Amino acid sequence: MDAVTYPNEGVIEFIQKNMIPLRVAYDAQPLATDFNLKWTPTLITLDADGKEHQRTVGFLPPEELIPSLLLGIAKSYFDRERFGEALAALDKLLKGYPKGDSAPEAIYLRGVCGYKSTHNPKPLKEAYEQLQAKYPSSEWTKRAYPYRLL
Amino acid sequence: MVKTIIWETKMDVALARAKAENKNILLDFFNPG
Repeated sequence: MDAVTYPNEGVIEFIQKNMIPLRVAYDAQPLATDFNLKWTPTLITLDADGKEHQRTVGFLPPEELIPSLLLGIAKSYFDRERFGEALAALDKLLKGYPKGDSAPEAIYLRGVCGYKSTHNPKPLKEAYEQLQAKYPSSEWTKRAYPYRLL
Repeated sequence: MVKTIIWETKMDVALARAKAENKNILLDFFNPG
C-alpha cells in the first residue's frame, strides 16, 4: 500500500477530501483486540461513532481502493437508513469505476437501497437484470437471483 | 494540494474530526516492519 496505492495522487485527493485517515500498527492495543485484527493490511470504514461498516483485508491497487472506500461510505449510510446518501455514493462508484471489483456489490446494494426507501420491489429486479447483463459470474448476481421473479 | 496522506494516529482525535467534519474514518491497520 505504501509503495503503490497511498502515493497515488487520486487516492491522496479522495481520502483527504472524503475521509478521516487513521493509521495504527497491527499490534496497537486496545484497537487490535477491539477490531479482532488478524492480518495486514486491514482497512476498516468507521462512522463518526466508531462503528464498523466495512473491512477489507489485503492489498488494493488505487483503481480498487477508491471504489472500495466509496462502497464503505455507502454502507455506512445504508446501515443508518440514510438511503439517499447511500445511493449518491453508490452512483458515484458505478459512474467512476464500473469495471472495478466493487461494482457488482454496489449494484446489489443500490437495488436494496431503492427497495427499502420506496417499498417498491422494482429496484431489486432491476439490480438483478443489470448484474446478469454486466457481471453474470459475480457472486452478487447469484445473491440477486431470486429477484428475477419480482 | 497535499502530496501525501496526513494520517491521524489516535482514535479519539479521528473520532472528533469525523464528527466535526461529517466524514467516515478510514482505519488502516498496518505492519510498520
